[in-house]
Amino acid sequence: MARPFLGFGLGLRTDHYQYVIDNKPEVDWFEIISENYMVDGGKPLAHLDKIRQDYPMVMHGVSMSIGSTDPLNTDYLGKLKTLIDRVEPQWISDHLCWTAVEHINSHDLLPLPYNESTIEHIVSRIQTVQDTLGRQMLIENLSSYVTYNHSEMPEWEFVNEIAKRADCYILLDINNIFVSANNHHFEPKDYVNGIDSDRVMQFHLAGHSYNGQMIIDTHDHDVCDPVWALYEYALGHFGAVSTMIERDDNIPPFIELRQELAIAEEIAANVLTPQQLQIRSKLDLQGVA
Amino acid sequence: MSDLRELQQCFMGYLLDDSSSMIDEVESTPMLSAKGRLDIYASAYVLRLKEAMTTDYDKLALYLGDERFDKLMERYIDKFPSHTTNLRYFSVNLPELIRDEPDYAHIAELYELACIERAFADSFDAKDLQVATIDTLAALPEVAWENLTFDFQKSVQIVWLEHNSFPIWKALADDETPPKAEKLYPMAWILWRRSDLVTHYKMLATEEVAVLSLALQGKNFAVMCEKLLDFYSEEETPMKAIGFLQSWIAEEMLAGFKF
Repeated sequence: MARPFLGFGLGLRTDHYQYVIDNKPEVDWFEIISENYMVDGGKPLAHLDKIRQDYPMVMHGVSMSIGSTDPLNTDYLGKLKTLIDRVEPQWISDHLCWTAVEHINSHDLLPLPYNESTIEHIVSRIQTVQDTLGRQMLIENLSSYVTYNHSEMPEWEFVNEIAKRADCYILLDINNIFVSANNHHFEPKDYVNGIDSDRVMQFHLAGHSYNGQMIIDTHDHDVCDPVWALYEYALGHFGAVSTMIERDDNIPPFIELRQELAIAEEIAANVLTPQQLQIRSKLDLQGVA
Repeated sequence: MSDLRELQQCFMGYLLDDSSSMIDEVESTPMLSAKGRLDIYASAYVLRLKEAMTTDYDKLALYLGDERFDKLMERYIDKFPSHTTNLRYFSVNLPELIRDEPDYAHIAELYELACIERAFADSFDAKDLQVATIDTLAALPEVAWENLTFDFQKSVQIVWLEHNSFPIWKALADDETPPKAEKLYPMAWILWRRSDLVTHYKMLATEEVAVLSLALQGKNFAVMCEKLLDFYSEEETPMKAIGFLQSWIAEEMLAGFKF
């Protein structure tokens, strides 16, 4: 069965609330950062509710800390569930990383060693999360700057194995593949080729910075040409995948981001058929395996 | 180190104080050493927390200037590692650090400015409740007044100040030069969010803060009236009490009534 395809979306950011509410721009969907709305009330939730009336949404988290060795944060999962009930997203995602240990939060997406014991640890935690939330989730590949001595496999094998055993889906960040490929000296197309197509549910695109030695995943620039090229390759490999652009810093006017999203649409139109690009948002994720 | 927990503790130790043996756990490459790679995370950790604090206390940052605010943030980050999943709540203890640290405690308006900014943040995303109306008050049965208490909007925040910190905050918010700090007398300021989602604020008169504090504690209307006798005659008190109630309703501070 074909995967759901939401079309082309953007990350919903505070700077653009009013523009989106006033102009209802043509965007297929929005992705929200879950934690920004895990508050009690006020403007953030009021704007979210208003925009949700007009657009499909997906929820993207940064603090589940699925790879941590601390117990799963039940308070966090409870708040996440409350937000899910409010937003009724197409799906939810978080990162294949850890953010906290001993209850101290780094507020960063920290990498994991790619080995069997880590896989077992994370699979069981994803299963618990999915049982708690009553839905499957997507896990996203990171940008990373270190390789652990105890890693035993390429990242894509690690991601695949976890998705398969936990029966969850993959949010494939094309920019993160490019960043990590540069920082760890592998061929980005090998990563794309190595990922199980049936598990891929969403793409992220973003810009990055070069600090003179490493590429840093800063989300503060436009998507660069090599990442667009990798996106084109990934579309050819996987077919239609719901795509969005993340921008978290140096945020331009909405209209400029929309123009950047049009590049993704154009590339997809060149690679895929109109039939492949038909929106299929009504499909239930549970029914697509 | 093959144990994941030990590895994570070691990594966190590196982020917190750069002192752990984490360097031995990651690969160095000709492109960049293990230390250089880990330092990307260590720098990002501090930068991210500073960014959150600067957003939450932007007027305090302006008042202190870049260098002094940066020092304050570093002290806070050292003393209060984050225990929250939401960066919004990371810096909630900053006023107390300012109050308790000798480097800052002697500049009294700093603590007050930080309290004002925290109160705005707490008011901004407090829980939404319905807004009580004059009609609901008018429709209360007579028996309700015997033990009438009040539910306030969750966004209501009372801040006690002794200095001209609110005018300083206002000048900073308006991009103007703040007035010189001066000690005045104890004053209560109220902040609350109206249904337009904008946070409003005003200074409270002594008699109003006296009854408002009681009402916020859940004391009933009769207790509030008794307190007002400290300020008004027996004849004036009922009308004054009703007047306060009406203004709290008109200003959308009240969410409902209980009896």
